[in-house]
Amino acid sequence: MLKLIKLEWKKNNIFKYIRNAVITTAIIIFFIVIMAGELETGDTVQIYGKSMLTTATELFVHMAYIVFTGVMLAVFIVGAYEKKTMNLMFSYPINRKRILLSEMAAVWIFNYIAMVVSKLLIYVVLILTRSFTGISMTGISFGELSFWLNVLLSSAAMVSVSYISLPIGLKMKSSKATIVSSVVIVCFTQGNIGSATLVNNIPFFVVLFVIAIVSVYLSICNVETKDLL
Amino acid sequence: MPMKNIESENIVQTNQLTKIIDGKELVKDVNIHVKKGEIYGFLGPNGAGKTTVMKMLTNLWKPTLGTVELFGETLTPSSYEVLKRMGSIIEFPCFYEHMSGRDNLQLHCEYMGYYMPDSVDNALKMLGLLEAGGQLVKRYSLGMKQRLGIARAILCRPELLVLDEPTNGLDPAGMKQLRDLFKMLCAEYGITIIISSHILSEVESIADTIGVIDHGKMIREISMQEISEMNTMYIELAVEDTKRAAYILADQLELKNFKVIDAHTIRIYDDRIDTSVISKTLAMNDAAIHFIGRKTESLEDYFLKVTGEGAKSC
Repeated sequence: MLKLIKLEWKKNNIFKYIRNAVITTAIIIFFIVIMAGELETGDTVQIYGKSMLTTATELFVHMAYIVFTGVMLAVFIVGAYEKKTMNLMFSYPINRKRILLSEMAAVWIFNYIAMVVSKLLIYVVLILTRSFTGISMTGISFGELSFWLNVLLSSAAMVSVSYISLPIGLKMKSSKATIVSSVVIVCFTQGNIGSATLVNNIPFFVVLFVIAIVSVYLSICNVETKDLL
Repeated sequence: MPMKNIESENIVQTNQLTKIIDGKELVKDVNIHVKKGEIYGFLGPNGAGKTTVMKMLTNLWKPTLGTVELFGETLTPSSYEVLKRMGSIIEFPCFYEHMSGRDNLQLHCEYMGYYMPDSVDNALKMLGLLEAGGQLVKRYSLGMKQRLGIARAILCRPELLVLDEPTNGLDPAGMKQLRDLFKMLCAEYGITIIISSHILSEVESIADTIGVIDHGKMIREISMQEISEMNTMYIELAVEDTKRAAYILADQLELKNFKVIDAHTIRIYDDRIDTSVISKTLAMNDAAIHFIGRKTESLEDYFLKVTGEGAKSC
């Protein structure tokens, strides 16, 4: 399985995605630092509050990587069906379910690591720039288990939730549909209407997680008997 | 559990193979028998069902009814091991276009679990792509992609090659190169090849057996040797005056089985008479001859006859 995952990264030119993840993280850092500066001037304190910088960081990173995961699922899996390279993959002496699972795992592992690294980098930059911005770092404590649990679990949940877009893209045979679905997921999970938001609603994310698992199952369940049209 | 059919000489066999999609019958009751080490030409007009059958042979599509037997084993949805022994091109070869031709072949070896030093270079060399191997596939021409597809199909030394219209996009020299390559693979490595093509002369010159499919049904499966033996031979005459020549043929040579085709052509369907006797008799009776020769039906004639396409086009 690990070999299949490595081959997926190789043939899809994973270095391109690493470069894009670095650029995305740099842009988020830029915005967060600007926001931190604005908080110091007091303009936006009423809206976010200084202790909410961690929430803003998570919001931006989650939004970015839910779409990023959708794009990678579109390229790795839905695009392979569109470009007929899946016909080639299914001509190999490898179980079709294993092929699809390795593709999903390749996307999941990359985005999970990238999301965790992005969050940690942003927190490190916020701590390093603390002397200039003067903001408090409530919620960023590398020594606490709860901090690590929050970073690791929320990242896993967000990457997993993105997989809801996969069966939609496969059903519609469209990479674009996969990406648009992931944007809709961003709106649902990260958006707010007035003060109403589902960002910290754990039961809601548990339901989404279950839907994501069902989505993965639906994407692979008939793959051995289904014709490649 | 797949059934073993050890007694069968056939490396590929289909039994009443039928495929229905959305209520439309694409192929029905197709029976194919391909012997080990032969080149099997699979012929049929466009839309006859050749690609459908080939997709089922390579397990990309599953039969609605009937079975496919490869190497004596009935193909099931989970028949993966048998794919190690096959190479194929169905419809058109797909590649990872951002990678080089060589990298595409190396990737293929990784997925196939085939690790033989120089195998990639040898395959590229066989198809005349050694120099272009380092180029990105997106810069390849259609013909180069087709050749790279064949290089990939033969890369892991398969026992069976399933090639759907492999000469698409190739120039005459490229076609000749492939013809020679297929003959060599068959003769030297004992590879069994199933090849479909709309260019009948291509198949005619290399196939041992042909199968003709039309409107989703197998019309005939016959060896090339049988075709040449059973085809009617005739003598074709190109003369100045067909009326006079016909009179001489009937009166002097007492021939009855001949036909005036047009103002200058006569066909004699009697292969017992010598052409020298005909030309001598016509010359002695002052009937000018421009050409005389024996003719046999080509595979194309046979194909048009059995599919009825010739009659339709007339």
